[in-house]
Amino acid sequence: MSRHTGRRLLEDGVRHCVDDICIPVKLFYGHVLDLSDRVDYLFISRLVSVEKCEDDTYTCPKLIGLPDMIKGSLTGLPPIIDFVVDVQNMSLKSSVKKLADSFGVTGSRVKRVLDAALEVERRYQAELLRGVPPEEAIDIVLSNGGGNGSGSKAGPERTGGGDLNIALVGHEYLIFDPFISHNIPRKLERLGANVSFITQVPSAVIDRELARYPGISWSYEKELLGAASHFLSHDDIDGVMLVVGFACGPDSIIGEIITREVRTEKSPPLITLVLDEHTGEAGVATRVEAFIDLIRRSRTRIPSTRPDPD
Amino acid sequence: MKVSFPHMGNAYIALSSLLSNLGAEVIVPPRPTRKTIDIGALHAPEFVCLPFKVNLGDNLRSLQMGADTLAMVSGMWACRFGYYGRVQHQILHDAGFEFDSILLGREGIRTVYEKFRPTIEGNLALGWYRAFRHFRRKAVAVDKLEVKTREIRPYEIERGSTSRTLTDGLSLVHEARSLDRIDAALLEATGLLDDVELDRDREEPLRVAVLGEIYAVLEPSLNFDIERRLGEMGVRAFPVMSVYKWLFRPLKTDPRITIEEYRARRIAKPYIAYVLGGEEHQTISGTINAARNGYDGVLHLYPFTCMPENICRTILPRIESDFDIPVLNLCLDEHASPTGIATRLEAFVDLLRQRRRKRARAQVPPL
Repeated sequence: MSRHTGRRLLEDGVRHCVDDICIPVKLFYGHVLDLSDRVDYLFISRLVSVEKCEDDTYTCPKLIGLPDMIKGSLTGLPPIIDFVVDVQNMSLKSSVKKLADSFGVTGSRVKRVLDAALEVERRYQAELLRGVPPEEAIDIVLSNGGGNGSGSKAGPERTGGGDLNIALVGHEYLIFDPFISHNIPRKLERLGANVSFITQVPSAVIDRELARYPGISWSYEKELLGAASHFLSHDDIDGVMLVVGFACGPDSIIGEIITREVRTEKSPPLITLVLDEHTGEAGVATRVEAFIDLIRRSRTRIPSTRPDPD
Repeated sequence: MKVSFPHMGNAYIALSSLLSNLGAEVIVPPRPTRKTIDIGALHAPEFVCLPFKVNLGDNLRSLQMGADTLAMVSGMWACRFGYYGRVQHQILHDAGFEFDSILLGREGIRTVYEKFRPTIEGNLALGWYRAFRHFRRKAVAVDKLEVKTREIRPYEIERGSTSRTLTDGLSLVHEARSLDRIDAALLEATGLLDDVELDRDREEPLRVAVLGEIYAVLEPSLNFDIERRLGEMGVRAFPVMSVYKWLFRPLKTDPRITIEEYRARRIAKPYIAYVLGGEEHQTISGTINAARNGYDGVLHLYPFTCMPENICRTILPRIESDFDIPVLNLCLDEHASPTGIATRLEAFVDLLRQRRRKRARAQVPPL
């Protein structure tokens, strides 16, 4: 696996990319370059569609074309294993079979491996729902690999003693990458807020919320929209932070739909933070602090505006 | 019902004919200018692609001109274009405008069909049929004029005369009200173009394929009228896309377009294995075809942050070296300046001229 994101890695990615592509792709390039001279094969999955439903769904053009971009623009790479996930047209099982064929693995072993992988994935999702950040969740799930399936109790409990509940909505690869997001979750916690993650919203809730906003075909954006709608209609939540990457195409549309269609007058405050490769730590910190300060201030003011008993 | 729609090259001629034959009063906003783009950008999300901002500006103008219904195509694609109508109309509602939306695709054909029930006189199906015939006749006429203009522009003696004549010709077609009149207008406009003074003895002009994101290629306000600029520099521009193809591709009534699409996908397959939702296959296959057909260069246009074209942009350098054809990438946004574009175009054209001369010298055997 590639190393954690760092300045060098990001700079490498930016240098080999088209200027105006979104920040996640630049990061991906960085990670590929980080790996390229250390491995014999590169595993890049091509996520075409990740859910099966009546309407057409896609991930995002850039995710669909990711292996093409890597192949077309970088030289001196090890051979690429192109794993296609296109649930709309091909079941996950047959994509895995196709992949296994290229390794020369066949028969029941494929099924066994796939079942085991799906089981791990299920436990991983369960950890995420408890509010464990992905990285820790991976450690937890993989450390008791043989697994009793009941989920571990080792994970830190996240119901901290903060006085504010802030929901973070945004793509996981942005929020949970401490380098590019300047560790927004930690910043919020340090300011005395309890953080709810988008990963904590069960998919059933997302589906229920989405029924009100039909007609979106990007799977990952549907998650954002559903989660944002869930948090924005929740009384316990004091503020929602929408974290988007600069030049992300789908985010530019969904961000607008969230602020215009989903948010109502009764919703908690919403802030949009745009991250790019230049975003200075101070800029993000200032915005986060200001957001928290404003929420606190509006809270203290409400009692003071009440008419005095005298 | 006063219907309006955003501009897309010369598509307004065919579209307004369609709508007025359906009994609606059509309000065509003025051709987009820098000002339109600025108003659009003011209300649009920050890093949405440029066509969104231009369309939004067009819509604002139409509403100021009294339109009460805005039409837009819409769909669930991987590309953002499918969501334009929905988000733009929401933005305009929030800005305080009151109007009715026709979102073709999202609401289904049926609702749109029914929407014109009160405006069409007589039989509904017959009305649609009549409107469609006018629509197609005009689209074909406009396409013919555009093709002819492209052919003669590099040879014109008085700079700008061809473009002026084209504008006159297009307005003739635009004003024609019946099928016969459209044919007559086309004949007259062709005659006008034939009368443009030409210098046919000039050396063979450079041939440049223009491709990329379809709106950036076809909308002159966005690409600083690149076709005209090229033509007046003595370059023959070959846009891979045209308004006609754009209008009729989804209708699937013209088999030539369908076959061309299929071929383009096949040629682009080794570079882009999956459909990305934009014009990526046309961009890739257009570049490859340009190299195979001996074009001098390729001009790749796309709006800032366009998703499918960004992927193409990443892959194009590989094709450039694989097929030995020069490609100039131009990224357009609301801050692009005409001077910047002109400088780059001139440099590119100079390079292409040099390349051609060098090749010609290499072919002449030494004495």
